[in-house]
Amino acid sequence: MTDDKDVLRDVWFGRIPTCFTLYQDEITEREAEPYYLLLPRISYLTLVTDKVKKHFQKVMRQEEVSEIWFEYEGTPLKWHYPIGLLFDLHASNTALPWSITVHFKNFPEKDLLHCYSKDVIEAHFMACIKEADALKHKSQVINEMQKKDHKQLWMGLQNDKFEQFWAINRKLMEYPPEDSGFRYIPFRIYQATTERPFIQKLFRPVASGGQLHTLGDLLKDVCPSAISPEDGEQKTQVMIHGIEPMLETPIQWLSEHMSYPDNFLHISIIPRPTD
Amino acid sequence: VDILLKAVGDTPIMKTKKWAVERTRTIQGLVDFIKKFLKLMASEQLFIYVNQSFAPSPDQEVGTLYECFGSDGKLVLHYCKTQAWG
Repeated sequence: MTDDKDVLRDVWFGRIPTCFTLYQDEITEREAEPYYLLLPRISYLTLVTDKVKKHFQKVMRQEEVSEIWFEYEGTPLKWHYPIGLLFDLHASNTALPWSITVHFKNFPEKDLLHCYSKDVIEAHFMACIKEADALKHKSQVINEMQKKDHKQLWMGLQNDKFEQFWAINRKLMEYPPEDSGFRYIPFRIYQATTERPFIQKLFRPVASGGQLHTLGDLLKDVCPSAISPEDGEQKTQVMIHGIEPMLETPIQWLSEHMSYPDNFLHISIIPRPTD
Repeated sequence: VDILLKAVGDTPIMKTKKWAVERTRTIQGLVDFIKKFLKLMASEQLFIYVNQSFAPSPDQEVGTLYECFGSDGKLVLHYCKTQAWG
């Protein structure tokens, strides 16, 4: 039986091989070679693509370069969603490497937030952590921490330092001994096919009788279309970090071990491949 | 959903504080609305906070925030021209 801590490491060090290609309509002075990179699942596009930007800027005229943005098969990729979520949601059952198109013009204002600097990413990341703790602990744990602890969470993510990050994050994963889990589970359920951005609701990890709620319980409650009828074929996949956890898994355990660094469980519901 | 807007610091106070807003309205939409109402410039910053603890993402829907953080039938949002709670 794998140690639970190994799961934390596997989640942290997950990588997606990606090929970045410059959009053909961008004006270049020379041919732009594609750029290959292993992307960390737990990070954000604009945090880990400095090298990509530099690579393509080398072949472009200075005046053609403005804010970088990324697109996959016509869909602008939201940088403020974790990379692993974007991949699972849009490209999970396709051949690797993941092919992302790089743009420097015509920023899609309606679809994407601007990311003018790393500070914007940090602010977004910390806001997610705070929102998660508001659900888990009524913000008590995050508010008791010092500013340097908050900074350590961000630096741990930015510099890919597992131990540094978890030294602080483990406190966000604790709960009072008299409880069996968090107050509510921070989760978001995404479906590529629907109009709404995601489903997020209040959900307790423990039932009034003391039984632990499972992933299946969560889905039945907030997204019943994701679970097929017993006799029917399972038309969808429920994916977290590129795997399909068993529906019987306690949601409290999932929250403690398979949340992203922002402390949310980002769950993708995608069509099951029919081959 | 019903929202209650509260000013923080020396940010101008809205004459009407209670508003009924569609669930799908985003935080960014709300920011634009408050800025117009208070006659602030588009370039001026406005921060919105939930539970006086976190600033939701501009694309977050008010309906979701209401379901998760609303109380007594309304969602209380604090707004501020400067960063109040980080």
